[in-house]
Amino acid sequence: MRILISACFLFFTLAVPAMAKSYDNSIVTVDLASDHVDITTGFNGAKLALFGMKREDGDVVVVIRGPRRSMVARHRRQVMGVWTNYASVTFGDVPVYYDIAIGRPLSAIAMPDVLREQGIGLDSFTFSHFGREDAETVKAFREGLIRNKQSQGHYPLSPRNIVFLNGDFFRADFYVPPDVPTGDYKIDAYLFRDGNIIDRQETALRVGQVGFSAWLQLFAYTNGFAYGLVTIMMAMLAGWMAYAISRRN
Amino acid sequence: MQIYLPIAEMAVPGEAILLLGGLVGFLAGVFGVGGGFLTTPLLIFMGIPPGIAVGTQASQLVASGLSGVLGHWKKGNVDVRMGGVLLGGSITGSLAGIFLFRYLEHAGQTDVIIPVLYVLMLGSVGLMMLYESFLTVMRHGEKQTSAPVPFWQKPFLQKLPYRMEFQRSGITVSAAVPAIIGFIGGLMVSVMGIGGGFFMIPAMIYLLGMPPLLVAGTSLFQITLTAVFTTMMHAVTNNTVDIVLAALLIVGSVVGVQVGVRAGRKLSSGYARLLLAALLILVSMQLASGLFIKPVELYMTELR
Repeated sequence: MRILISACFLFFTLAVPAMAKSYDNSIVTVDLASDHVDITTGFNGAKLALFGMKREDGDVVVVIRGPRRSMVARHRRQVMGVWTNYASVTFGDVPVYYDIAIGRPLSAIAMPDVLREQGIGLDSFTFSHFGREDAETVKAFREGLIRNKQSQGHYPLSPRNIVFLNGDFFRADFYVPPDVPTGDYKIDAYLFRDGNIIDRQETALRVGQVGFSAWLQLFAYTNGFAYGLVTIMMAMLAGWMAYAISRRN
Repeated sequence: MQIYLPIAEMAVPGEAILLLGGLVGFLAGVFGVGGGFLTTPLLIFMGIPPGIAVGTQASQLVASGLSGVLGHWKKGNVDVRMGGVLLGGSITGSLAGIFLFRYLEHAGQTDVIIPVLYVLMLGSVGLMMLYESFLTVMRHGEKQTSAPVPFWQKPFLQKLPYRMEFQRSGITVSAAVPAIIGFIGGLMVSVMGIGGGFFMIPAMIYLLGMPPLLVAGTSLFQITLTAVFTTMMHAVTNNTVDIVLAALLIVGSVVGVQVGVRAGRKLSSGYARLLLAALLILVSMQLASGLFIKPVELYMTELR
């Protein structure tokens, strides 16, 4: 018993401070149950559990951002009765994925311009765009793009909830859909007090194919000829088998 | 069961894809058509990007084409010389189609142009077949009164340059005619993901005057090789061939063909054609409604 107690004592005096060292002076701390989302052949979306701790009073906001890509939004118009893609606007730095968790409404946490500066909430999005379209048009296209992303499940329709397990310890649950864009994601936790940011902590999340699925994709992109050959061989083998079976009957 | 497609980067219900492959194989067994006209639009309905639907469909054509051509080859029903000329045209057509497809993707018009092409083609072929099979079902037993002059005997076709003799088919015709027919067929393979048998077979009968016995084998010979070439081109230049999707479709179709062949034996050819015509018109109407009805969301987005 004595030994056990002293072992525990040793552990808490030596090991725990060492483990917590990287978060030493941060007021808000978050960590993921897993820092990667592995896409395998059986992948069907994934749950992401995020745990965190705040050491001072304030509102916590957690934001997940996917890598930024160039995206084009197109507007459909009727040409000779057919709905065709007509005008288009290209946006330069659109996060391919975005999700947010909050404890209470954003409007109660900070002023819109503070949120916009940090890129918190869908209303804060101001994508850079190419072309000479007027502000009105760009706004309509940006809203169209956001609606598109929402219907794909890549942007949230409404923010998720942060659940406090006790006074300072919180949890947020996210869900990524089966067609989640791959890449390096960033998760930011903000702590707001009186409308100002007092702390911010970042953690990384990798979303990517692994195993056989990843290998196939790499193969297809790095050696298209051999990949094409394998596909054709497979098809020919199946075709020959179908012929052989039908001849036997 | 959800299966993740590594190239399309999305999960699809595996059973649905197998079933789709099975349905296409079934149609191939019953009617002797490729069935690509059903796969490509249905894959697009399921949310698979049009490029990947078309590119992958080409590899499925390799399987269904080969299984069909082997039997004809054994019986000697393939005119290799004619097939070679058709192939020359269709490979050029396939290449042109791949660049056309790239251009359409860049202009963001694939999701409009592909359905439009389908509506035009399926609609017109379906209506023609419906009309024709209606006549044959009606005239049951009656004999055709007057045979019109076959198109391939018209003087202007005889005057075209580069005349070639096709001994197996027993015809002499300008090589330009099969080359152009092949070109259009090749375009269909790479832009629409269909074998183009709908177009090739009537063209070979009415424009070239080939003996019907050789038409099916020769067109399948040409389609199989064009599909091999197109699959390779899509894999190398566009990265739009998803091998997992292809495997699911092919496995489904291999099973479907066996069921279809058995079902086909119980169906008289007149009614089979009537049913096929009705199916074609139905698919084209479904696609057309998507084009003419105002979409709920007027904006669409894609990665650049």
